[in-house]
Amino acid sequence: MTTSENAARVMELVRAAGATGDLIVEEGQSLSLKARDGDLEEYKVSSRQVYGLRVIEDGHVGTAYSEASDPDALTAIVEDALTNASFASEEVHETILPNTGELETDDGLLHPADDTHIEAKIELALSVERELASRDKITSVPYNGVQDNSKERHIFSSSGLSARSRSRVCVCYAFAVAEDGDRNALEGTGNASRLFGDLNGARIVDKAHQACLDILDGKPVASRHYDVIFDEESQPRVFDVFASMFSGKSAKDGVNPMRDKVGEVIADPRLTILDSPLLADGLGYALFDAEGTATRATPLIVDGRLETLIHNSATASHFSVHTTGHARRSPKSTLGVSLHQMEIAGGDEPDDGSLRAGEYLELTNLEGLHSGGNAISGDFSFGAAGYLCKDGERVQPVRGITVAGNFYQMLKKIAAIGDVQKWNWEKESLMPSIRFSDVAISG
Amino acid sequence: MLDTNVSQSVIDHGIALGADFAELFVERKRINHIQTLSREVQSVQSGIDFGIGIRLVYGDKVLYGYTNKTDEEELKRITSEIAARDRRDAESGPTTFDYREAPDMHPATITLSQDSAVEAKVAFLLKAEQTAHMASDQISQTTGMCMQHEQAIELFNSEGLHTTDTRNYTRAYISAIASDGDEQATGSWNDGGLTGWELRDDIDPEAAGTEASRQALVNLSAKPCPPGRMPVVIGPGFGGVIFHEACGHLLETTSVAKKASVFHDQMGKLIANPVVNAVDDGTMAKKWGSINIDDEGMETQRTQLIKDGVLTSFLVDRIGAQQTGYARTGSGRRQDYTYAPASRMRNTFIEPGNDEIDDMIGSIDKGLYAAHMGGGSVKPGTGEFNFAVVEGYYVEDGKVQYPVKAATLISTGPAVLKEISMVGKDFALGCGMCGSVSGGIPTTVGQPTLKVDDILVGGNA
Repeated sequence: MTTSENAARVMELVRAAGATGDLIVEEGQSLSLKARDGDLEEYKVSSRQVYGLRVIEDGHVGTAYSEASDPDALTAIVEDALTNASFASEEVHETILPNTGELETDDGLLHPADDTHIEAKIELALSVERELASRDKITSVPYNGVQDNSKERHIFSSSGLSARSRSRVCVCYAFAVAEDGDRNALEGTGNASRLFGDLNGARIVDKAHQACLDILDGKPVASRHYDVIFDEESQPRVFDVFASMFSGKSAKDGVNPMRDKVGEVIADPRLTILDSPLLADGLGYALFDAEGTATRATPLIVDGRLETLIHNSATASHFSVHTTGHARRSPKSTLGVSLHQMEIAGGDEPDDGSLRAGEYLELTNLEGLHSGGNAISGDFSFGAAGYLCKDGERVQPVRGITVAGNFYQMLKKIAAIGDVQKWNWEKESLMPSIRFSDVAISG
Repeated sequence: MLDTNVSQSVIDHGIALGADFAELFVERKRINHIQTLSREVQSVQSGIDFGIGIRLVYGDKVLYGYTNKTDEEELKRITSEIAARDRRDAESGPTTFDYREAPDMHPATITLSQDSAVEAKVAFLLKAEQTAHMASDQISQTTGMCMQHEQAIELFNSEGLHTTDTRNYTRAYISAIASDGDEQATGSWNDGGLTGWELRDDIDPEAAGTEASRQALVNLSAKPCPPGRMPVVIGPGFGGVIFHEACGHLLETTSVAKKASVFHDQMGKLIANPVVNAVDDGTMAKKWGSINIDDEGMETQRTQLIKDGVLTSFLVDRIGAQQTGYARTGSGRRQDYTYAPASRMRNTFIEPGNDEIDDMIGSIDKGLYAAHMGGGSVKPGTGEFNFAVVEGYYVEDGKVQYPVKAATLISTGPAVLKEISMVGKDFALGCGMCGSVSGGIPTTVGQPTLKVDDILVGGNA
């Protein structure tokens, strides 16, 4: 049976039980290659599907999923979801939206035709590892790979919605160990694109090698407060740790400190943050969310003022506002919210000029973000490495330090915002460099 | 779960394509997750994961594929696809399976396939949340979670192995938020095991709620942590994450074989202070990181990693044994059928010593008492690690002074192992999830209270 036929059968069972529901089906194929010592170390292919059902019966929500799609398995997820709903507390705000009709994303944009032969993909994996391993002071390239992942996602609802999106992401990355006497360093980078041919192995080799050499002589700096600029890779990671500050779901659950601050100034007046799902260059592009609601650019912080939280239909109903098109649900999860791709508006300071005047620390590497940040309190403390800089020039590599503070307070202590927006290499967010003042560094 | 004739045909197909080794990992996992919030049931989720992983080994090269489908044609198609570039004449013939049932050292009684026990789990979580709220008016929010998994696996390989195992995992978690109107702070409690819902006999909802609220209230009163290099006393149980990150990952042959571990050439050498003895033990009854057999079918064991400061063993999986020459230690583990196995930790801990915590604190002029640790991470190639302190106290003149917040410890594995100068008697374990090349797996960390003489503390004071 086809996916649509299976979905129709599931929806029939849901309706027969007097419930409403929506079904998310994800089907994916992936290729993963890793190289070692000039030969392939791993060659991994996959083919996978999963059906995830959400039902709402008398105001009670239940979910269930299955990686099998035979008739018995599909019947079982309906029964299990209904049983799970019977245990859940009543949730008057969560409903199946009356979105109907067919939605479909543009395959030409999100899944462009690409006939790159497998041998070319293998050669990219091998050449990146081989070239990087041959560079000065590089002793091994323990973490490297080439991936080609395709995903097709369907949303079917009892209201009559049938939405399909298909996407592809190709990735190449490499992290090398450099050694010089008793000093060593592990650094790397990557590329991501919808087209395999856009991956640039030579650039990865050059950047990873240079990053290793640059940081090899790093040493701690004196413990005190510095101006800090996170580079284009680490700054999005910091913002991501605290992204739940925009979550309507966290606010509804009482675990978002910004819950009651919509309309208030929470950041430097030069800071403007948006969620921009329709920026097609980004790999977080989304035409509609997990409830089939059309997405749009959403101003989150404008001139330092918190404009809105992000919502699905349930959190929007709870706060008596409209959904912002940020519903998130995987086949294996309950309904939540998430940003599609964060964008920070460019500022006024020339990126290669006044932004980098005087002394500051450029942090290029952060460790322990998942454990060292607390999105509820805003407190953070991360391991860090980078460079002590003066007037835009790196004057000393820095390692073995920590950077600590409170993120929500840090948003108010912005010294300057650069005028050039940059994607991180995963192409998930677009930001200018921001210079934060008075950040605690321990060395 | 998979017809033996189909398995044999697919394994033989892999060997006919010239592979040195072929393996099928069949998995069916039933899951049940319950979440509570504000003393109400927020969600109940259930699901079935099912799939088959196919591994072929040519020399040191691992080829891997997986699918949700069980038909012979699809399994052979994937086998042919991953072998396409390496196929050669077969060096061995058809496989004959010798079925061996894995010994069940951790039998479970209340399993998901018998009873998901939703009402009992909900009662536990709500009682714990209620207890946390009653601790103080400053407790503004609480959440609870109970997860239970029943993972059935079946393994076939070209060496004739055919075995099955069932792992029952259950874990409960409570968190509390304390608020004084201006600031918020968090606290948590969790416990789990390789067991069914009989875990309830070993956990007390009132104690769980009390601990989560206590920690949140302590953190609400915490001051910014003074930064800098200083001695640190690390509390028992989850404090063992320091060894897990600083040393455990560096002893996995996944890193050792690539020479991506600073310890790859240190076997038999003194790598830690002689007071340090460390073990990775998969046999501990019903512990979170325990197993019966690893995900390559080998019976688990207790592995002495460090004895009196000397490196005595790595953690070795099948491919690691082939690449390094060290004997397998039953350490081949993977999250699920979507990953090839890799050498991973189980219950990893520093063994008890003879020191008293009062003597450790008393020996500090200015330093930190890290009573409870959070998670961390490590760069195996350099040994640089970091981990977060979730409940810490500043120590001065040999006495605990005040709680501190947002502290992080960073160092390198080789450095910190030599800085452990005192090891206490109060041994405890703590459970967590460990992420690495073969996915996220249940592991236990552990230690008694110990003192590190010099480590960098990150703070915001």
